[in-house]
Parts: sequence; C-alpha cells; structure tokens
Amino acid sequence: MTLGIQTIYQEHVIFETLSVMENIFAGAEIVRRGLLHKSEMKRQTLAVLKYLKSNLSPDAKMGDLSSGEQKIVEIAKGLVFKRKVIILDEPTASFSSVEIDNLLDIIETVKNSGLGIIYISHHLEEVFKIGDRVTVLRDGRKVSEREIAGLTKTVLIKDMVGRDPSTFYQREKVPIGEIVFEARNVTGNGARDISFVLKRGEILGISGMAGSGRSELMNVLFGSARLDFGVILINSKVVKQSDPKQAIRNKMCFITEDRQNTGLLLPQTIAQNVTIANLVNTREFVVRSRDDARIGDRFVKQLGIKAPNSQTRVVDLSGGNQQKVVLAKWFNTNGEIFIFDEPTVGIDVGSKQEIYRVMVDLLKQGKAIIMVSSDMPEVISMSDRVIVMKNGEKMAELCGAEISEENILTNSIGDKTI
Amino acid sequence: MSGEAVAEPKPAVRTSLFKRYENLTVLSIFAGFVLVIVLLQLIMGGGTKFPTFISPVNLLNILQQVGVAGIVAIGMTIVMISGGIDLSVGMLASLVSIITALGISKWQLGVVPSVLLGIAAAVVLETTMGFIISRTKVEPFIITLGGMITFQGIALLLCSSREVIMNGELDFLKANLIQGAKDPISHLNLIIPPYVLIFFAIALLGSLLLNYTKYGRRIYAIGTNPQAAYLAGIDVKNMKLSAYVIMGVLVGIGAVMLLARINTGIVTLGQGLEIDSIAMVVIGGTALKGGKGNVVGTLIGVFFLGSIGNAMNMLRLPSEVQFVAKGLVVIIAVSAGDISNRISGFLSRRRELRWHAEQRATKGESVQSTK
Repeated sequence: MTLGIQTIYQEHVIFETLSVMENIFAGAEIVRRGLLHKSEMKRQTLAVLKYLKSNLSPDAKMGDLSSGEQKIVEIAKGLVFKRKVIILDEPTASFSSVEIDNLLDIIETVKNSGLGIIYISHHLEEVFKIGDRVTVLRDGRKVSEREIAGLTKTVLIKDMVGRDPSTFYQREKVPIGEIVFEARNVTGNGARDISFVLKRGEILGISGMAGSGRSELMNVLFGSARLDFGVILINSKVVKQSDPKQAIRNKMCFITEDRQNTGLLLPQTIAQNVTIANLVNTREFVVRSRDDARIGDRFVKQLGIKAPNSQTRVVDLSGGNQQKVVLAKWFNTNGEIFIFDEPTVGIDVGSKQEIYRVMVDLLKQGKAIIMVSSDMPEVISMSDRVIVMKNGEKMAELCGAEISEENILTNSIGDKTI
Repeated sequence: MSGEAVAEPKPAVRTSLFKRYENLTVLSIFAGFVLVIVLLQLIMGGGTKFPTFISPVNLLNILQQVGVAGIVAIGMTIVMISGGIDLSVGMLASLVSIITALGISKWQLGVVPSVLLGIAAAVVLETTMGFIISRTKVEPFIITLGGMITFQGIALLLCSSREVIMNGELDFLKANLIQGAKDPISHLNLIIPPYVLIFFAIALLGSLLLNYTKYGRRIYAIGTNPQAAYLAGIDVKNMKLSAYVIMGVLVGIGAVMLLARINTGIVTLGQGLEIDSIAMVVIGGTALKGGKGNVVGTLIGVFFLGSIGNAMNMLRLPSEVQFVAKGLVVIIAVSAGDISNRISGFLSRRRELRWHAEQRATKGESVQSTK
C-alpha cells in the first residue's frame, strides 16, 4: 500500500455492518483534534463516487449493496488514496451482465485518470473489451505478453494451453458397463438444465472455471441443495433425494472439495470418521467401539493411511492422509456412485497418484465416478468423458480425442459456439 | 494442512497420559483439592481427629446436595456436546416445581399426575426452544436466555408471586434407603435418599447413550462439525432438537426431586441451577463449542463443585468465600487442560525438531530439500 498499489480480491474484504464511507476510510480515518472528521471524509467519498458516475450514498450500509456496488466502493477507495496501480482479481465473478458493463465503464474512467490497472480474469470478452496488453500465465510461469490490438481469441487460447499430454498421469482404462446414474434437466442452486448419464466403470469429468456452478450442481445431485426442477435416476429408477441421508441410502458418495470443513470430524479419531456415514445403513442402535476400531484399522491398512492405528485423531494427519480417511468413510457405506469434488486439491504428488489408483480400483469394481476438477491435466488424464460448465450451464460434452486442453478451455471461457 | 508428511516414519509419538485420558487433568486437580482440605483439617485438629471432610456421613451429605444439579448437568452435557447450551434450566425447574406443587396442593390432581404434568411441561417447553434453535440460526444462548426470563414470568403468574406449600406428599423421594446405618466415626445416621440413586442411574444411562449408541455418535458428530455431519447423512436439525427434549425430561425429574427436598414450590427454587450445571459440565472438560466432553468428566465436575461449599464449611470459613473458590475452580480446571495441552504440544514439537536435526546430521547435507 505504501507503494501505491491497491489489490481488490475476488472475495470481498469488507466490513458489512459499516457504511460506504467508513469502509473506504477504515484504518486510515481522517482525524481532527482527536475526533473523526466526518464531513471531510464524506466530502472526499462523494467527490470520488461522483467522478465514477455512481449514485451510491456514502452512508449506505456496505452489507446492503450488491457485490457489483461493493467492487465500486473498493475501486473508489483506490482513488481516494490516490493509488497508482489497482489490481483486480476476477472482479466480475458472480456479477450480472449489467453490473459487468457498469464496472467495465468505471474501470475505463479510472484508466483515463492515469492509474494503471492489472485486471485478472478468465473471461476473454472482458479482457478484449478493456485491456490494452495481455499477459498469459500458465502453471506459475509467464507464457506470453501481447498487444490486444489485432489479437484473436484463438491465438490467446493457444497460449493458454500447450502442456505436453505425454507428461500426464497414464490411467488404466476399464470396460464400461450399463448406465447407473442419470440427471435429466437438473436445475437448482445455480445449476441450470443439466442432463447427463453416468455408466459403470466410467469417470465423468466436470470441468469449468471457478464459479461455473460445478460444486453447486454436485450438491443438488447429492441432495444437500434443493432440486428445483428435473429428475435424478439411479439404476433407471427415478429417486427422490431431499437430503444426503437418502442419497447415501441410494449408494451415493460425496467427497467434498473442502474436506476439513465439510468432509471430516477433525478432532475425532480415524475410526469414528470412517464409520460415521454408514450409520444410516445400520440397524443396530448400539455401536461397539471395538467394531469401529476394527473397520478403521482395516482401512488404515488398505489405503495406506500413515497412522499407527485407527485411534489417531484426524486433525493430526497430513492432507493426503485426511483425504484417504474421507475415502474410507465412503467406501465403508458400500457406495456405487462416487462424486469427487476436487479430489487432489492441496495434496502432494505421491498421495495424488495413490488417490488416482484408488479411483481406478473403484472403476474395476464396477462403480462409477463423477469428478469435478480444476486441475486440467487431472481432468484430461482421468476422464472418460468431460462435461464443461459455464455459468451453471452445460456448454459441451467431450469424449475420446475431443478431450483436450484447448477444447475444454474454449468451452469454459468462450461463447457457446463449438 | 499443507505440511505434507515426510515419507520416513516419524519418531513414535509419546502422547502424554493427560492427553490420552481426557479426564485425568481435572481428576488430579480434584484429588489435589481433597488432599489440601484433608491436610488442613488434620493440621487444625492437631492430627488427633479424623478429617470429617472424608467421613462417610459427609460424603453422603455432599451427594444429597449435588444430586439435583447433577441430573441437570447430565442433560447439559448432552446439549453442550451437541453444540448448544441451555440457560433456562434454573427457571424451568422453578416453574416445574410450582406446577407440580400446585397440582398436588391446589388442583388436587394426585401425586403421580401432578409429577407427570410437571415433567411434561418441562419437555414441552424445552422442545419448543429446541425447535426454534434447530430450525433457525439464532444462537441457543439467546433463545434459552429468552426462555429463562419467560419461564420466570410464567412461574410468577401461576403462583401469584407466592410460594406453594405442600404437606409432604413427595416425602417418599427423600426417604432414607439405608435406615439405621451409622457412620463408624461420628456415629451419625447415614442417609441415602432415592433421588441420589436416580442421579446415578441417569448418569449411567447418559454415559451409555453417549458412548455406546448410534445416537451418541451422532451427537458428537453434529457438535464437532454440523456441515460434515449433515453430508454424512445425519439429520442435524432433529438431533439438536432431541438434545433439548432429553434436557426437558431431566430438568423435569430434577425439579421434582428439588421440590421433594424443600416441600415448597417457589420461584427461587431453581435459582443458580443453570450456572451450577454449566460450571460442572465445563469443569468436566466439555467444550463450549461442542463435540467434546463425557459423562465421567461431568461427574467429576459435579462432585468437585458440590464439595467446595461443604469444604469451606468444614474449614469454618465464611460461606461467602465459597463463591470465590467455586469461580477459581472453574477457571483453573478449564485452563489447566489447555495449559497441559500446550506443554505436551511444545514437548512433542521439540522432540520432532530434534529428530529432524538428527536425521539431517546422519544423512549429511547431500539430501536436497524438496521445496
């Protein structure tokens, strides 16, 4: 900040209960004789908001504003403190199209006032609309830097792809069986009109950018979010799943993206975590710790969880081993249909390969997998088919040789043309 | 979370005894407390008299005093493990005692129907609060605080702000079960009333429920991580609700016991019960944020808190001192667990660092670090 740089993060860093003015001056209040100089702060806020052609009130509560308006306030903050560079990280995620146009106009105004703007986005339209120069990063390296004038989308996408597929994980293929799961026009929780089938022995990859509604769709399929419209079929029978309990009884398993917050009971032991999801399938009211320990120990051995025994608390395990506990929890329910949401996020390379092997083992047992992943090599190497999502909608379904970085990227960031 | 395990086996983790047996910390503090009191008594008596604090008659006396709060504390343990809290139990107990006393002495319903009516009222009111808590996102602290004030109001309305005196219809609950037994030291009568046994029975049931049933597993799960519990197929809302229903039953039973002891339904009867029972539960190691705790710990808490006032009497200290002592015990017992965790965490970290240093020394610097 002393360098005159203001970063506006994808997730808002705001004080919801404070006003627009208080948010702008938080931590840098103008003080006169030991008291807040409110009129001066208000004057400056109003001046900047007027310059940005925004009719927000400086006294409006931040929490009452839409996310588009909140972004404007953050930009206004950069202007009030006369920053030289503003960095915007995916500012338009979760915006309506009107809000996007509005924000782009404001950025244009700010640009013309002499500030430098770094605009991080995966929306190519926006990049072409407001950018002067574009830099492409891939796997943490700078790939290219080009002038926007005269640049085409195809050239840009070429820069963005280009990993060598031969370096990807080589997965063993498994014969594919009959249809076990089907979604018809599934709508709800941000997902819109999604249809697909899933067969035994198959991994169906779900790809798309962050915010494209993939995890939201998975929650609908598992019953942990409302299904507004459409039907889910398991073994060709329509099923009603209004909560995860029914989904588990229907032999579904959901390995969530955020294992620490939604997958595990961290302070409890491996044995307790492994047996918790299967409680809906057991009839006995009495549970025996010895049986749980036996089941836990079996999975510790089978999946190679690095712990002395199943009485180890999950919080003491590493990321990869925690993920194996989550897997064990679901294997213990004898599920058939597995949803893996970002199965290898935050996991080291060694554990990653082990988890891939476990997934292939599942396929060999005739089970089926839906895999959401942002890891492009993972999607390409593991999937038999890939569905690409954008804004909650299914953009494309790719199979066989169509599954390439270029195809996936074009569909997840481009228009619905291919 | 990113700290990925090294491939080599780590040094065998020697968990401290205090970590392995979660009740050991508070148990040792309690034992220390008892020891201090006994020593003080010996010194004051010049070493000639038997310390009356641990005489059978006094121990039974303490049991009688803590029985009711203990029953409520068992319920509080379940509620708090599930991630909730209940501030209304004291006033609810007062309300139940007034309803039961009115039923017996004024409405002439008979003893059994009156008792059932009182317990039923407690269950209904707790269920209502549990329903609101489980279906909304409002903090249980707030809901039960509101409940506490409301119940006080209802109780005052019912008895027209007066006490309801009975004619000892509930005396059978405080009858001595070991009539004629004498303390070998002081030759005083030993007394075990039925409600002490009921307290032990409830503690046993609660312990079995939490440790050996599906229900218990689920209570711990929703208290640890409601989101993960929900995705594991647990009906989080109804589980939360059920904890308050159980609480209702236990408060109902506790209030009837209280009424039997005092023989008068009065609004001050349950006063402080919520503070005492919550204090007992937290002394016993149950976490306010849920997911952790057990009945054995709570039992230690019950006896510990219950013996403080008694010990102060034995030492002939003014009764006001016992509040200071009680408060300090809560603070010490709860922070001791944290402090011992920190110490053992510090020791194991140091062991691990030393182990890594040794590894580096034996392998030499040729091994490149991975990152």
